[in-house]
Amino acid sequence: MSAARYDAIVVGAGAGGGVAAAVLAEAGKRVLLLERGPALSFAEVGRDHLRNQRFSQHGHNAGPALDGNPRVATDAQGKTRLLRPHEGGYHNNAAIVGGGTRVYGAQAWRFLPNDFRMASTYGVPEGSSLADWPLDYDELAPYYERAEWELGVSGNGAASANELPRERDYPMPPLPPTTQTRILRRGADALGWATTPVPLLINSVPHDGRDACIRCQHCVGFACPVDAKNGAQNTVIPRALATGNCELVTNAMVTRIATDGAGRASGVDYLDRDDMPQEARAEVVILAAGAVETARLLLNSATDREPTGIGNSSDQVGRHLQGHAYTGVNARFAEPVYDGLGPGVSIATLRFNHGNDGIIGGGMLADEFVILPIIFQQRYLPPNLPRWGAANKTFMREAYRYVTDVKGPIQEIPSRKGRVTVDPDVRDRYGLPVARFSGTTHPETIRTAQFIQDRAREWVEAAGAIETWSTPPRLQLFGGQHQAGTCRMGDDPRTSVVDRRCRVHGHDNLFVADGSPHVTNGGVNPVLTILALAYRTAEGILRAW
Amino acid sequence: MDLLTITQQTTLRAAIDRIIPPDQFPGGWEVGVGDYFARQFTGDLAAFVGRYTVGLDALDALARQGDTIPFAALPTAAQDQLLAQIEADVYGGELAQFFALLVTHAMEGYYGNPENGGNRDAVAWQMIGFEVRG
Repeated sequence: MSAARYDAIVVGAGAGGGVAAAVLAEAGKRVLLLERGPALSFAEVGRDHLRNQRFSQHGHNAGPALDGNPRVATDAQGKTRLLRPHEGGYHNNAAIVGGGTRVYGAQAWRFLPNDFRMASTYGVPEGSSLADWPLDYDELAPYYERAEWELGVSGNGAASANELPRERDYPMPPLPPTTQTRILRRGADALGWATTPVPLLINSVPHDGRDACIRCQHCVGFACPVDAKNGAQNTVIPRALATGNCELVTNAMVTRIATDGAGRASGVDYLDRDDMPQEARAEVVILAAGAVETARLLLNSATDREPTGIGNSSDQVGRHLQGHAYTGVNARFAEPVYDGLGPGVSIATLRFNHGNDGIIGGGMLADEFVILPIIFQQRYLPPNLPRWGAANKTFMREAYRYVTDVKGPIQEIPSRKGRVTVDPDVRDRYGLPVARFSGTTHPETIRTAQFIQDRAREWVEAAGAIETWSTPPRLQLFGGQHQAGTCRMGDDPRTSVVDRRCRVHGHDNLFVADGSPHVTNGGVNPVLTILALAYRTAEGILRAW
Repeated sequence: MDLLTITQQTTLRAAIDRIIPPDQFPGGWEVGVGDYFARQFTGDLAAFVGRYTVGLDALDALARQGDTIPFAALPTAAQDQLLAQIEADVYGGELAQFFALLVTHAMEGYYGNPENGGNRDAVAWQMIGFEVRG
């Protein structure tokens, strides 16, 4: 079998992979973009309330298939559980063209300047692996701006200019406020807290040849009915394909990174949609499979030269897994907060991301997307409410439009113990060792989370909530849709996997372009940082070519 | 639904209508929660059929023990009382867990999207004010 030859191979057609493919293809490089899942239409993603990325009781709408793709979770006692993709602890992200961006809520936050220097700002708590990024906000700012403009973000840059300095406003104004926005703004005003419209990778006005958001109720967890949600699948990937230089192959499961005798990446081997083995060879290989699968692929690509996995000579691949511990407060108001308008999330404060006395980091607080009725029933009931019967039904009827929650992604304090390895026994349908999770982030995460939860309660009470309830934050591993950290970026190969160009240490043509290089994962949604970093990495590859 | 005996089906129906009782809006059975179960028992709930047959039998047997009549024939207040006792673990953890499962699944049928078999004509959504526009 002769291998197909390309200039570059990108593994994973999500946020980072899409950007890398576009930048390289637009520069004339011949790119092979491999995606393990299919490209799904709006109808195929569907609107099943019981099987989606937000509520996966019985399955998913964006892959991977429930059978044949297990993972293994390990608890503190070392006991293992075999998990299917829709089960808790699997840390799933969508496995389709567009990756998570096909079905996300599309919050488009930049990390704050201090998010890049956590260790020097706060010190390093004992037992944590908190560290500074080797690059700073100013270095990433031009790439943030490029992501905002090339994919399309709606927002109001002036409203967050103190926390997120910028040279250029967003390309679109924010979506108009809802009742929920106004009620929460009232509370923030009473407290003297600055707020900002939530920046969204959603068209507030017609943009880039596509329509504006129609304010539907099925945004996060689903695909957009009018294609107003900007993800890799309707922006950078079409641009890459339009050059004629990029070939997108779907249902292609990469089985290993191929290396030559000197250990240099020479391409990848993959199984095509018919499970037939294929080989592709290239000058440059870019991994963008998500923090779990990218780490797994490196570990599963062990060679005689690197017997514990590519890039893993310092035992760093898969460590420092982070996502976001979300905490917040549910609140019932005397007046309706839900007016029927999606997407729902609309107002945020960045006041508590940093500078909290005695607390390491913090997190952004924002309101919630439209809550699906079944999610409301299963996750939003006050603790003293009967789980069934007349009182339950009455609450559903009387409270659904009167309840919302304010919550936020807590900046997790990483630990080298929170990690992805590959399981010695369990294999997937392709015969590959599956991802195995163990450990958690550092317990400081919980102190931060509790602090932020208290601020959330303060906010909703100032806004007029008549009743609030919440569950206490609990230390556990979070990966899922915000997964990051498993191929830490750093200058020292002993404590990191990739260098500041996101190039795997010791491999001059192997790069990572997803959330894996994030040293820390900020206290905001990470997708814009993944996009920005991918722009920077791809530009760096071109400059050195 | 032919995976359940007639008695089990009758018990299930009665239990569903106590979990989501009719008031000015329809109860669970009327809007198709039974159809949800019927469909899912050969689908995503197939693995649970055994627990349902055992659990529904146990529920009915408790009613016959106490009041010598089937669960489905008890007055609704007595049904509620028995279910509350089950929930409170009076009759052991296994039955309590079965009831929690039954509640979870019944709610999925009632508040889930109509395409899953329950929530006919999106009645539950109309009741709470979740309107699908666009």
